[in-house]
Amino acid sequence: MDPNAPLPLQRRKFLMTLLAGLGALIGAASAWPVFRFLSPATAGSGSDQVLIPRGDVASGKAHFFQHRGKPAVLLQVAPGQFVAMSAVCTHLGCVVAWQETAGEFLCPCHGGRFSAEGQVLSGPPPKPLESIAVELDGDQLRVG
Amino acid sequence: MQPVKWLVDFIDVRLGVREIYASELKGYLLPPKVNVWYTLGAVLIALFKLQIITGILLLMFYVPDAEKAFASIQYIMNEVPYGWLFRMLHAVGANVIVIALLLHMLSVLFMAGYKGRREFTWLSGFIIFNLTMGLCLTGYLLPWSQLSFWATTVATDAAGAIPVAGEFLVEFLRGGATVGNQTLGRFFALHVVGMPLLLLGLIAVHLFCVKRRGVSSPPFGKEYRASEPQPFFEYEKHQGGIPFFPNYVVKDAAVICFFIAFLLAIIFYAPGMFFPESAFQPADPFLTPPHIKPEWYFLWAYQTLKIFPSEIIGLGVQGLFMTFLALLPFIDCGPERRPAQRPLFMTCYVLGILGFVAISIWGHYS
Repeated sequence: MDPNAPLPLQRRKFLMTLLAGLGALIGAASAWPVFRFLSPATAGSGSDQVLIPRGDVASGKAHFFQHRGKPAVLLQVAPGQFVAMSAVCTHLGCVVAWQETAGEFLCPCHGGRFSAEGQVLSGPPPKPLESIAVELDGDQLRVG
Repeated sequence: MQPVKWLVDFIDVRLGVREIYASELKGYLLPPKVNVWYTLGAVLIALFKLQIITGILLLMFYVPDAEKAFASIQYIMNEVPYGWLFRMLHAVGANVIVIALLLHMLSVLFMAGYKGRREFTWLSGFIIFNLTMGLCLTGYLLPWSQLSFWATTVATDAAGAIPVAGEFLVEFLRGGATVGNQTLGRFFALHVVGMPLLLLGLIAVHLFCVKRRGVSSPPFGKEYRASEPQPFFEYEKHQGGIPFFPNYVVKDAAVICFFIAFLLAIIFYAPGMFFPESAFQPADPFLTPPHIKPEWYFLWAYQTLKIFPSEIIGLGVQGLFMTFLALLPFIDCGPERRPAQRPLFMTCYVLGILGFVAISIWGHYS
C-alpha cells in the first residue's frame, strides 16, 4: 500500500464536502427563481409622475390616487394652490381621511391629526406626511 | 466539538434520532438484487413534491374566474419573473408523473410485485394512479384555453352515455348544462384542495403497506424460489440486503436527477410538446376548434369510445378493464413470479402494452 495514499476517511470527508458544496449550489440556483417569482413587482417602474385633470380637485376637496404603488392625496388648499402628499400615516401605515369641515387629515386608526399641508397637529404620528411635488401644466396637474 | 455533531447530540438526547436512524434507515434492508425499477416510487414522491411547490407558487397569481383565468396564465407566463418556468414545471411535470406512474405499474406487473399478500399495496397504488388522472383532468381546465374548455366538454360529455343517470351526471360534473364558470370553480377546488389531500393520505397508506409488508425481492436469479404466502402476517426480511440509507438513497437520488433532467430537457428543448395551438387561445364557448383531442394518456379511452358502435359499450369495456386491473392480485394469486414462468400473463402484458400504444396512436391520428 502506498504510504502517501489518502486514508479512506479523508476521501470520504472530501467527497462529502464536495457533495455538500454541489448541493448548496443547486439549492441556491433553485431558490433564485423562487425568490424572483415571489418578489413584488418593481415599484416605480415607468414614469413616477401622475397626471390628474385639474377639474378633479375642487377647492377645499381632496383627491386620492396611487403614486409609486402607494396611496397619495392631492388637495386644493386655496383657489389655484395645490399640495400633494403621501396619504399613508407615519404612525402605523393606515391611510388618512380628509376632514373637509375641519380642514385637516385624521388617521382613523389611532386618531393622529395632520394639517392640510401634512404637518402633525396631534396624536401619535412621529413625523409629517411625506410631501410630493406638484405643478400645474395647462389643465393637468403633474404630481411627482 | 464539531457543530454538526453537537446539533445531532442535542436532538438525539431529546428524540432518540440515532436509534431511528439505526433501525429505520441504516437497518432497513432492501433485497440484495434490487434493481433500478424499484426507484420509481421515490421518483414519484419527488415529482409530486415538485407539483405541490409549483402549484402553490402558481396559486399566488392564478385567478379561478372564467373572465380572468386565461389572462392570469398569460400574466404568469409573460410578466412574472420565472413564471414561465414554474408553470412549465407544473404542466410538463404532470405528464412526466404519468410516465413514471405507468413505468412503476408496468414494472410491478412484470415482476409480479403485487403477489405475496400485497393486495392493499397494489389497490392503494391503483387508486393513486386514478386520482392522478383526476388531478390531470381537473388541472387541464384551469388555464381556460380553447383546448382546456373543449377537452373538458368532451370528457364530461362521455358520462352522458351511462343509462338513466347519464344526463344528470354530466350536469353534476359540470355544475350546469355546459362547461362554464361553475365548472371552473369546482374543478379548481378539487384540483388544489380535495384531490391533493386525498392523494397525500393514499400515498401515506401505500408507503405504510410497502414498509409493513416489506419490499418484494426481484424474481430473478438462481436463488429465487417461488413460495406460497403464509396464512398469517409475515414481514419479508432481506438478510444481507442493501441498507436503505445511504446506499439505496443514493440510487434513488440518481434516478430522481435523471427524471428532473428529462423534465427540464422537455421544457428547454421541446416546450411545445404538450401544448397544441388551441392551448394558446382563450376559451370560446361558441367556437369549437377542429380536431380537439384529449391528453396523450386519455387517448386510449377516447379512441375506445369511438371504436365501439355505442358509447355505453365503450364505457363498459373501459370499466371492465380497469376493474380487472384493480382486482388483479385477487385473480392472479399463484406463487410464481418469474416472468419466464408465466407465459399467459406475459402474453397479455405485452399485447396490453402494444394495444395501449396502438389505440393511442390511432386516437391521435383519427
